[in-house]
Amino acid sequence: MPSAIEVQHLTKHFREVLAVNDLSFEVETGRVTGFLGPNGSGKTTTLRMLLGLVHITAGVATFGGRRYVEIEHPIRHVGAVLEATSFHPSRRAEDHLKMVAIGAGIPLSRVGETLELVGLSDVGRRRVGKFSLGMRQRLQLATALLGDPEILILDEPANGLDPQGIQWLRTFIRHQAAIGRSVLVSSHLLSEMEETVDDVVIVSQGQLVLQTTLADLSTRAGTSTGMRVRSPEIGRLTGVLATSNVAFRPIAPDTIAIDGASPEWLGPLLAQHQIVVYELVHEKGSLEDVFLTLTKGFDAAIPGAPSLGAPPGGSQAPPPGGTPPTPGPMPGGQS
Amino acid sequence: MIAVIRSEWLKLRTTAVPWVLASIALIINGLLILVIFLRHDPATGGDTVPHTTQQLKNLVGSGFQGYLFALLLGVLCITTEFRHKTATTAFLVTPVRPVFVGGKMILAAIAGAGLAVIMLIATLIGGGLTLVARGGSFSAMLHQLPAVAPGMILVFALFAILGVGVGSVLTNQVAAIIVVLGWFIILEGILVSLVNSAEKWVPTGAALAASNLTRGMGQGGQTYGLFNQWQGTLLMLGYGLLFAAIGSFILTRRDIT
Repeated sequence: MPSAIEVQHLTKHFREVLAVNDLSFEVETGRVTGFLGPNGSGKTTTLRMLLGLVHITAGVATFGGRRYVEIEHPIRHVGAVLEATSFHPSRRAEDHLKMVAIGAGIPLSRVGETLELVGLSDVGRRRVGKFSLGMRQRLQLATALLGDPEILILDEPANGLDPQGIQWLRTFIRHQAAIGRSVLVSSHLLSEMEETVDDVVIVSQGQLVLQTTLADLSTRAGTSTGMRVRSPEIGRLTGVLATSNVAFRPIAPDTIAIDGASPEWLGPLLAQHQIVVYELVHEKGSLEDVFLTLTKGFDAAIPGAPSLGAPPGGSQAPPPGGTPPTPGPMPGGQS
Repeated sequence: MIAVIRSEWLKLRTTAVPWVLASIALIINGLLILVIFLRHDPATGGDTVPHTTQQLKNLVGSGFQGYLFALLLGVLCITTEFRHKTATTAFLVTPVRPVFVGGKMILAAIAGAGLAVIMLIATLIGGGLTLVARGGSFSAMLHQLPAVAPGMILVFALFAILGVGVGSVLTNQVAAIIVVLGWFIILEGILVSLVNSAEKWVPTGAALAASNLTRGMGQGGQTYGLFNQWQGTLLMLGYGLLFAAIGSFILTRRDIT
């Protein structure tokens, strides 16, 4: 099956600043692709170049082989929700959609349909100036869906949505893929997207870090980092480890971490010495850790590159299995 | 293109801009009609009731200066897209920017002409009633309509086109309004009073020629020699298209972020 979106050697200079640097990736038909990177990594610029809003310095971006500007009535094929798009405050939501529908030759019956789809039917006659951020986001989504497009481009669509809204958005995105549509959705938080995407395109500093499947990324994340033990007899355990020349790190007075250890190795050892254990944890990296390591390592690889925003360290959710978040890089500590 | 223009019409009428502009234009028109009737006739010492051809023409065309509102209508209908950041949506729907500017121009021309028609109708009603009440002849006034209306409608349309052109270059709404009002209210008059031969070349001179009404920019409305109607129309249209071409060129290369 051909790619829905093809990006080849895309480059953008804003005067002296290189915002996007020789970026190439593909979005496969019928799949949800997460476009991930820290703030300021060139995601929005890339998406706007795809849509012909930002002038491309070099390279090409196509939808089924055609550039956006070459498509007749493009919003019937590519729907977009972009950040910082606004509405005229005194225009009614319904009129906004009508105006777009008429301009693209879309039947006006779609206006009511899309309003209902995003849950704005009751406020269609209201002026957009009175809308909350979440309602505007839904109206943007309605605008994107108006032409029943086969490709959707969503730039940080979860911004401004409440938890129910985000849950709704995830279901919505999965549904789009289920009916054969291709979705490219950007986010600076992998955790926000890991239940939603099939593939990931990770960028940092305007360059591609990695394009792979979420499954592959999970495999990388699932790599064991070691064991953590909490025991009232921690002194006996450390004694045993010291005699076997095994390195360990004290975490708390009754807790230690043994890097590189496996459950298969540690379990029999504890049984053999009859050590009472309160807590035994097999530590694995989370997806977010892999994401942070990938994007951070990439920053460091560029000599003199400025740090772009703090890594979202505070937002890590504990991964399933009860492991507390590993102490990741401190916010703002990456300079 | 038809779709673009229909969409633009919906865009325009769903904001307050055209209605506010038209209302202000009509209020000023009403005041001007009052002035015409309140002006004392130096010969008789009494109030003037328009009766000569020129006086009746002036009464029918009393809303003529409203072309400035057609100009503002043109400026606002394009700059509002940038002010409210609706340009993103507009360019997603119509990614070819010259088509976007062209659609705005055609719509603005129609809306500008519409404004002229509304003002003419209002003048016929308001001015006509006053005239009849003061013992004048409405049929004599109506008789001057064919001489005034086509030129006035044409000039309003041309100014609206020019407004879109200027707005496509100066997308900052405040800057665009200051520049057009500064030029048409102050600078152009100064230029013509200093260099009289410039009158036929400046937009207002070209528009006056296009209107085919014998008015000028000099003292007491005298003219320093204008082009003929066709030349004036083409020159005025040329200004609008020149700005639109520059604006389209800039917009095509502009990043909408």
